[in-house]
Amino acid sequence: MAAAVVSTNGVATPSDWQDRYHHIDQILDRPGPRTDPSFLAGDEVKDFLRNSCKILVIGAGGLGCEILANLALSGFKDIHVIDMDTIDISNLNRQFLFRPADVGKAKAIVAAEFVMNRVPGVKVTPYYGKIQDKDDDYYVQFNLVICGLDSVEARRWINATLVNLVDPENPESLKPLIDGGTEGFKGQARVILPTVSSCYECSLDMLNKPTAFPICTIANTPRLPEHCIEWASVLEWPRVHADKKLDTDDPEHISWLYTIAAARAKEFKIEGVTWSLTQGVVKNVIPAIASTNAIIAASCCNEAFKIATSSAAYLNNYFMLIGTEGVYSYTFEHEKRDHCPVCGNESLEISINREWTVERLIEMLVEKQDIQIKKPSLSTPDKPIYFQSPPQLEEATRPNLEKKVADLVADGGEITVTATTLPFNLSLRITYT
Amino acid sequence: MTGSSHEFQDIEEATTALQSQPDNKTRRYDRQLRLWAASGQSALESSRILVISASATSSSVLKNLVLPGIGHFTILDHASVSHSDAGNNFFLEGFKSIGKSRAEEAVRLLSELNDGVEGKADTRTLESILDTQPEWFATFTLVITHNLEQTILEKLSSLLWSDDTYPPLAVIRSAGFLAEFFIQFHEHNIIESHSETSPSLRIDKPFPALLEHALSLDLSSMDPTEHGHIPYVTILVRALEDWKKKHDGNPPKSYAEKKEFKQGILALKVKYDEENFDEAEAQAYRCWSETKVPSEISALFSDPRLASLGPTSPPFFHLLAALRDFTLLPPYALPLSPTLPDMKSDTNNYIHLQRLYKTQAEEEKRVFKSLLTVPIEDSLVDSLVKNAHALQIMQGKKWGTFDSEKSALVNSLSVSPKETSTHLALSALFTLLSRQPDIPPTEEALRTEIQSVIGQGVELPEQLDDALGEIVRAPTAELPNVAAFLGGMVAQEVIKIITKQYVPANGYCVIDLIETWTGVIGN
Ligand SMILES: [Zn+2]
Repeated sequence: MAAAVVSTNGVATPSDWQDRYHHIDQILDRPGPRTDPSFLAGDEVKDFLRNSCKILVIGAGGLGCEILANLALSGFKDIHVIDMDTIDISNLNRQFLFRPADVGKAKAIVAAEFVMNRVPGVKVTPYYGKIQDKDDDYYVQFNLVICGLDSVEARRWINATLVNLVDPENPESLKPLIDGGTEGFKGQARVILPTVSSCYECSLDMLNKPTAFPICTIANTPRLPEHCIEWASVLEWPRVHADKKLDTDDPEHISWLYTIAAARAKEFKIEGVTWSLTQGVVKNVIPAIASTNAIIAASCCNEAFKIATSSAAYLNNYFMLIGTEGVYSYTFEHEKRDHCPVCGNESLEISINREWTVERLIEMLVEKQDIQIKKPSLSTPDKPIYFQSPPQLEEATRPNLEKKVADLVADGGEITVTATTLPFNLSLRITYT
Repeated sequence: MTGSSHEFQDIEEATTALQSQPDNKTRRYDRQLRLWAASGQSALESSRILVISASATSSSVLKNLVLPGIGHFTILDHASVSHSDAGNNFFLEGFKSIGKSRAEEAVRLLSELNDGVEGKADTRTLESILDTQPEWFATFTLVITHNLEQTILEKLSSLLWSDDTYPPLAVIRSAGFLAEFFIQFHEHNIIESHSETSPSLRIDKPFPALLEHALSLDLSSMDPTEHGHIPYVTILVRALEDWKKKHDGNPPKSYAEKKEFKQGILALKVKYDEENFDEAEAQAYRCWSETKVPSEISALFSDPRLASLGPTSPPFFHLLAALRDFTLLPPYALPLSPTLPDMKSDTNNYIHLQRLYKTQAEEEKRVFKSLLTVPIEDSLVDSLVKNAHALQIMQGKKWGTFDSEKSALVNSLSVSPKETSTHLALSALFTLLSRQPDIPPTEEALRTEIQSVIGQGVELPEQLDDALGEIVRAPTAELPNVAAFLGGMVAQEVIKIITKQYVPANGYCVIDLIETWTGVIGN
């Protein structure tokens, strides 16, 4: 029994014992029928995977915990993980690297320690914070990025960042992005080769539209328990608590909303306001289970392994799973969108009514399924139209909100849309009807 | 009205009893309770799962069952941890576990995931239990095997199939990037299928209170605000009744009539922006989709067990018999669902309509209950009435039956060539390994075996080359990612079986993690 002893964090641990990679080496020692001829079977690929490949995992939650464990067992030894969250008791039904005693601690740190303890010789470097804290110099150091996030905004950010990173002169600058997501028994995994294949922004219109209740329904004519809960959180909380911010993670706050919503429901004879529904509505809770996360995370890591080693063809490029009725899955190639504001190179043609004001145009940009920019700032090539910030500029451009777009931009003219939350510009070509 | 005081009490109860903050257990399971509710959770908590071998795949399945909180699991495995086990199973402690009992190590580490779950390691051999204590298997809710040797798997599968007091059996097989699983069960009945099709609103067959309400509206002289808040259901019932009066009692039939009916609805608008009338026009198809017993449900009524129903029959069949009898009464439909979808309206109009549906649903439930010949708990009756349109009885098969049906295999090869090829390749691998465990199979030997299974003259599809090549490349490789993928897939199906919610896969679920696809065959 030949067990090499190496040192990690100053503690001697037996690592890379004989036959440790018995299973994986069957794949790495010889090609299969669907392996690219560039595959360097044997020591060369093992050396790259185990000694030089550097991978970044974004998110240490439901998908992230699974991803870290899978990568470590697959032979990735230099893993970095970013997560800004702390552990909540409701994570414990699936985030299997955490225990009740860990509640309140940083996910990234606890997950990294757990994996390093369990899988000898693997280095996991955690960062407890936001992905936006890091710049291009940070992201450029990785060979691959895997995303297990529940936030659309964060995904758009990392997607745009990796697309911007691509320098056509330097193939190393192209960082494959593997993205996973789940909801209940459903999930999806995809491979994005920035600038080469369809990116996250290209498929924005595939997202379900979030349910939004009209304010007049909430205020005047509620029918559903959700309407009463929205009334409590959107109208009553700010009225009663003035400047105190609603913290949807605070059970006391949820209880307050629940009490208020229940009273309103009683007044209108509406049934069905419960504590759990209240929490679900105000936090936008998505059902989540260990098994679905396991499937999607495994799929993401499997793609990472195949891309890093070239040992087999990889997913081209979208895998969608629906597990509610039997096992249904669909694998397909999602096409690039010509007018993608991130990876496309054409501006988006938009035809609007000649009477539309700037404010109306902004409303459309927020709502339109393939755009969805929360706080867009608008400018023409030579002057600002409306800026959300800084305050002085906002104030200076505010009068434009009521002006007609047609008075500011000629037919066929261009408007550039930016948003502080997204690292890209969207260029619109405006025509009038 | 006699029901009114009772009804009032219901509203009071439903809207005043304030719940306190959820306890720790509810908070821990919150994200899954939103999928299968307390009833599903309690089914999970009373389940006992037997897993044969503590391989990486088996441990992954268990992880995904321990986390949501099954009651008990036993790992049956007499092996000790090998060097290669220690390298690919997260529920072993790497080098430290080598040489220790594989079952005990895995049970110890899996148990850390959830204090509420009982785990047990059993280091006997499967052979000895099959020989001396077959009844032991009946103490479990479900049995799971991974890459179990063919001969003993056949023995286990035959035993568990021999009598329906034995539990379902999940059979998992994998080699390199290829895998499949099959769940052997005799029958699986589902009430809460969480179907996405919604039950009928009975617009074409309105119950008396609904019809009366729709006819009582004076649309022409109504206050305009009120007019803009009439729910589409009421509009449609009214418009359909008015139409029928002018058309010998018939609903719109031809395309032209349907178009005319829709235009008639829009013509009722008093203001151009009345969204409720737009909604009514969009939903007008409900007027000519006849409310009747769906054919899948009436098919269940011919089940022979309804004819021989006795006091010891399972509650499901008593409920089904009552449902059949209910549909023999006017309006010859399933019991009305108490849930009304949201629609453009205001509080008073919507809540009033909701009360009409609720009251009628209560009444129909009372009739339904009177047709039951044995007492059945209310929650089950409620659930049946709510889900009557989507009940399912699934008939399963014995593991391996598919491989003995040449014509089914040949047909499957032409309909689903890549799935069937992968299945045949995996089956051939395990057959050969069982004959000569230490000899890695060649592509030729596998092909010969497959040809003998499906018949000599049958042409093999080119997709088979891809599968065979991968099998020969890595015949005994249990890749961590494939193990994790299977762990999720199988756990998900097991949860559906245990909770009797959602619809499990029936047949062989075949998986290729090179191109990343799954497909179900042999059902
Ligand atoms: Zn794009």
